[in-house]
Amino acid sequence: MTLTDYKYGDVIHRCFRCGYCKFPINWMDVNNCPAYARFRMETYSCGGRLWLTRAWLEGEIEWSDHLADILYSCTACKNCEVKCPLSFNIDILNMMIAAKGEMVERGEVPSPVKEFLENIQRQGNPYGTSRAKRGEWMEGTGIEAYQGQEFLYYVGCVGSYDTRGQETARILGKVLQKAGVSFGVLGNDENCDGNEVKNLGEETLFEMLAEENVAQFQGLGVQKIVTLSPHSYNTMKNDYPGFNGEFEVSHYTQLLQGLIRDGGLDVSGGYNATVTYHDPCFLGRWNEEYNAPRAVLKSTPGVQLVEMARNKDGALCCGGGGGNFYIDLLGGSADSPARRRVREACETGANVLAVACPNCLTMLEDAVKAEGLEDKLAVKDIAEIVGEACGIK
Amino acid sequence: MDIIACIKRVPDTSEADFIKIDPAQRDIEKDRLAFKINNWDEYALEAAVQLKEKLGGTLTAITVGPEDWNEVLRRALAMGADNAIRIDRDVSADDAYTVAVILERVIQRLSYDLVLFGAQSEDFGSGQLGAMVAEMLGISHATLDTVLEAEEGKVHTQRELEAGTLQSYTIELPALLTVHTGINQPRYISLRGIRSAMQKELQVMALDDPGLSPETLVPMVKLEKLELPPKGKEAELIAGAPEEAAERLAKILKDAGIF
Repeated sequence: MTLTDYKYGDVIHRCFRCGYCKFPINWMDVNNCPAYARFRMETYSCGGRLWLTRAWLEGEIEWSDHLADILYSCTACKNCEVKCPLSFNIDILNMMIAAKGEMVERGEVPSPVKEFLENIQRQGNPYGTSRAKRGEWMEGTGIEAYQGQEFLYYVGCVGSYDTRGQETARILGKVLQKAGVSFGVLGNDENCDGNEVKNLGEETLFEMLAEENVAQFQGLGVQKIVTLSPHSYNTMKNDYPGFNGEFEVSHYTQLLQGLIRDGGLDVSGGYNATVTYHDPCFLGRWNEEYNAPRAVLKSTPGVQLVEMARNKDGALCCGGGGGNFYIDLLGGSADSPARRRVREACETGANVLAVACPNCLTMLEDAVKAEGLEDKLAVKDIAEIVGEACGIK
Repeated sequence: MDIIACIKRVPDTSEADFIKIDPAQRDIEKDRLAFKINNWDEYALEAAVQLKEKLGGTLTAITVGPEDWNEVLRRALAMGADNAIRIDRDVSADDAYTVAVILERVIQRLSYDLVLFGAQSEDFGSGQLGAMVAEMLGISHATLDTVLEAEEGKVHTQRELEAGTLQSYTIELPALLTVHTGINQPRYISLRGIRSAMQKELQVMALDDPGLSPETLVPMVKLEKLELPPKGKEAELIAGAPEEAAERLAKILKDAGIF
């Protein structure tokens, strides 16, 4: 591909690297691009990556492992798109995804990205664990298979396979049971939602996953979906309609907000802690849902909610987006976004860092261990906090 | 340079607890497994594609297996192979010798300078096939290759041996090499690439096409039994605070004479 063939060839040159893409709120800080915060080099910021992409497509620089690592260190957190003041900001993340797409078609992706995508091709999840084990998380919970209940509870890859994610998936299932919600799951028949696949630039694989999932959901008569992960929520809400998949999609915090408000879920058991909430990118910046998770926390007796300096559309990504919870191009340093974020959480005086995403949960919990903050800060999914408040052990 | 790469399809057995032996004790149960191209063969294919991109010529991928093995040939076509040949045969009861006889018959009818195999297979791991085919074809071979460079009429290769020792060879073509992992970084094959490869021709040969019949293919070795190893002593999970766990681990290592 040359710049002429590149979908954004007529606009990519317009980035003059003003640097707003790195701001959390204003110029007082430039560390809100997770990759830039990690490496502190302009090449890792959105503007730097756009210039590199342009130089690569114009033949000024050759493809290299390093170039691929720089592009794939983008977590698709959308801070750049939200902060860029220029008219083409709506496409600056798409420019990056399109560049990744070119690397995918050339076969020149970092080896963990190759592994991630091949595992999804083969087993429907990035870990490469068998499809036949996808439903093991629900053993002993009494959670039913989906057969026409009101909601399809879509768990996602991290909730299905990651040990910590599985704990959250089970607790959310128990909370929904306790609230009397009519729901079922797909178990071993669930497939990857494709959100990360799309952001890694594997458009054709994403399309296949979306088409298969939409056909499966429609075949089962699904109308309402509640997701554990904001990543699933994002793609099912925003991308699946493009594949004739019109479903009423909720993130679980939105469902819990309504249940608690309407008296359908008794959280009077409370949760005594000072809690700060980390906005997941795919719930926050991607879908502008900043209220529901906070409303759930505020309505839980005993929770004292305090905010980090960077919150809502200024929140720092945990570094796990764009497949980085698995491909891990941002780890291994005290400057990794997850470690920066847990230090920031500690500064609020909170003893609990609440999350609403299994990816954030695993990223930030690992960061707490790496920082040696286990005695000061516990990372909890909101489902776990609500679970405890309604008496679920 | 005209290159032939021989590849096979293997079960994805990355999860050891998923491996079950079938009742006849000749094979594993495959119904719950996913399949993929043999790991070493992927490196061989990548090496072949890189040589072709550099020097020109053709690349032909060959496999011996039943119809569902077409998928590894599709991947080879998507990676850059020009031709793909599958010799239709259930190889589950075949030994390396039997498959070597089939491959030799097919390869000897083709024009080639270089034949590449993976150094071994992930499932049976005999590591014999490439060397057998080279002997049958009467051409030079080098196994366990971690470096491959080519020029007119010859290849330079390096073999990786025990303790990291390396042997360097220059070999006159035609020749056969068995490629080790680490020789390159196999490219990712996008789903679009695989779908495009579905449109390419894939030649299927019956055994009698190269003049063979089932009766002439008699294995030299016969598998008697396949079984899982008996369970050993359970591993000890060291619990407790990091300081206590470290102390306990240090004692175990010291008692074992490790330090």
